[in-house]
Amino acid sequence: MEVTMDPLFLAWSYFRRRKLQQCSDICTKILQENPYDQDPSLFISEAAWSLKTRALTEMVYIDEVEVDQEGIAEMMLDESSIAQVARPGTSLRLPGTSQGGGPTPAVRPMTQSGRPITGFVRPSTQSGRPGTMEQAIKTPRTASTARPVTSASGRFIRLGTASMLTNPDGPFINLSRLNLAKYSQKPNLSRTLFEYIFHHENDVKNALDLAAQATEHAQFKDWWWKVQLGKCYYRLGLYREAEKQFRSALNHQEVVDTYLYLAKVYQRLDQPITALNLFKQGLDHFPGEVTLLTGIARIHEEMNNISSATEYYKDVLKQDNTHVEAIACIGSNHFYTDQPEIALRFYRRLLQMGVYNCQLYSNLGLCCFYAQQYDMTLSSFERALVLVDNDEEQADVCLLYPNVSYNGIGDLTLAYQCFKLALAFNNDHAEAYNNLAVLELRKGRIEQSKAFLQTAASLAPHMYEPHFNLSILSEKIGDLQSSYTAAQKSEDAFPEHVDTQQLLKQLRQHFAVL
Amino acid sequence: MPEVKSIFREVLPKQGQLSMEDVPTMVLCKPKLLPLKSVTLEKLEKMQMEAQEAVKQQELAMKEQSQ
Repeated sequence: MEVTMDPLFLAWSYFRRRKLQQCSDICTKILQENPYDQDPSLFISEAAWSLKTRALTEMVYIDEVEVDQEGIAEMMLDESSIAQVARPGTSLRLPGTSQGGGPTPAVRPMTQSGRPITGFVRPSTQSGRPGTMEQAIKTPRTASTARPVTSASGRFIRLGTASMLTNPDGPFINLSRLNLAKYSQKPNLSRTLFEYIFHHENDVKNALDLAAQATEHAQFKDWWWKVQLGKCYYRLGLYREAEKQFRSALNHQEVVDTYLYLAKVYQRLDQPITALNLFKQGLDHFPGEVTLLTGIARIHEEMNNISSATEYYKDVLKQDNTHVEAIACIGSNHFYTDQPEIALRFYRRLLQMGVYNCQLYSNLGLCCFYAQQYDMTLSSFERALVLVDNDEEQADVCLLYPNVSYNGIGDLTLAYQCFKLALAFNNDHAEAYNNLAVLELRKGRIEQSKAFLQTAASLAPHMYEPHFNLSILSEKIGDLQSSYTAAQKSEDAFPEHVDTQQLLKQLRQHFAVL
Repeated sequence: MPEVKSIFREVLPKQGQLSMEDVPTMVLCKPKLLPLKSVTLEKLEKMQMEAQEAVKQQELAMKEQSQ
């Protein structure tokens, strides 16, 4: 005789083992058999309903602290800024205002927004702030999708609608027919329902309604609901309201998460100093808390203050020596300050910890090459090629080979082929265009080289190399006017570049003689 | 190995002008370490890929039905 397990218990067990699809299937079955509780003392179907909402939420759950995607509208039509030009060292939007002894762009490549590239990408580091509307529309592509027009049309909405499309019977809970007031009275159901609406359906307005009614029902004494209200306000772009809710939640209960959310609000309002102070307050209550320390390090890094960012990352590692972000950032910092062999140790540590992806192997290969451990270089690159996920990564890995072939053994043909390959994989790769142009010029094809340089310059106006090269090339063929304009652009991108300044001086002398 | 006395002697001019020309050369882009992805980002990308796939499949099925 077969003994069957109680379905609800089985579903709960599946949920704990994170077999969410099975859990949700069983709950669906229970709910189909008896949609409403017959016996009011047993809350079987209510429990099944709640468990199913939790399972569905867990499937698409992402850490709200990490999520930060700014749309074009929020970025360009900014209401919260007080002054047009912020004072140096007080804004995240003016990179380079506080040079904390970091390496120059001649050594360390820059991102679009003019910050040195970091060793770690998060959803919010990808974007950066473009200076002009044109740049905003044209350039930043985050995770192979274009930037959304507003954050309300971003990735979450697309994910939400997709999850509804794939469900043939329509959504599990029909939000428009839900009596939110009734649910807000039941604390045991309202929380799971809120998380379902917020994370799974991405319907922030309804989530806000529910949270507002629930917090009223709790007589404004429940910190959890206040934090949720703040999250909703943040998503809707009402930062000051979000700040109020988080502050009030902190009065009730000190929670690390609340500090992180509040700091996120301040970062969005472009008040990095306030955010830093807040993190320090948080550290008073939770000494050595890793997430708070990481937050401080990130802000320093975004303000271009690499040396103090590294200090804080080291503090993070003292608390948690398997923190991937801290290891990666310290490693890349060592690489760009001429210590590839130390960087290699950090990346090797990541490998030991079980990080296994294309980026790590390509970094290992690069560090090996510059630390003169040639035996490992090519095999690391090959591993990286095997682990590639998409075309952009493939292009990036292809670009690594020329470092060895061109800079190392002078094999121009291989370098040329690699650049061409990289361009075949990613048509917008400005670095590949620039390097290809240099090789073309060596072959004597001036027109070709010029065309590549112009392409590179238009694709990545933030890089100084294409502008500088174009300037040299134009000067050589006697086109002094375009040489001058290109040199000026190069100076904008990298003011301290000595060669550019010399070139500009020379050109000015020329013009003066004329 | 016996020491071979070289017949050439190095000459270091002590007088006269030394001229040097600094020609600007083209610069290549610097080697770039690829940033590692955070867990959240990886999950987001994975979810997006899956959602796109699912939508594609569904659209294909709808097309087949209508034919």
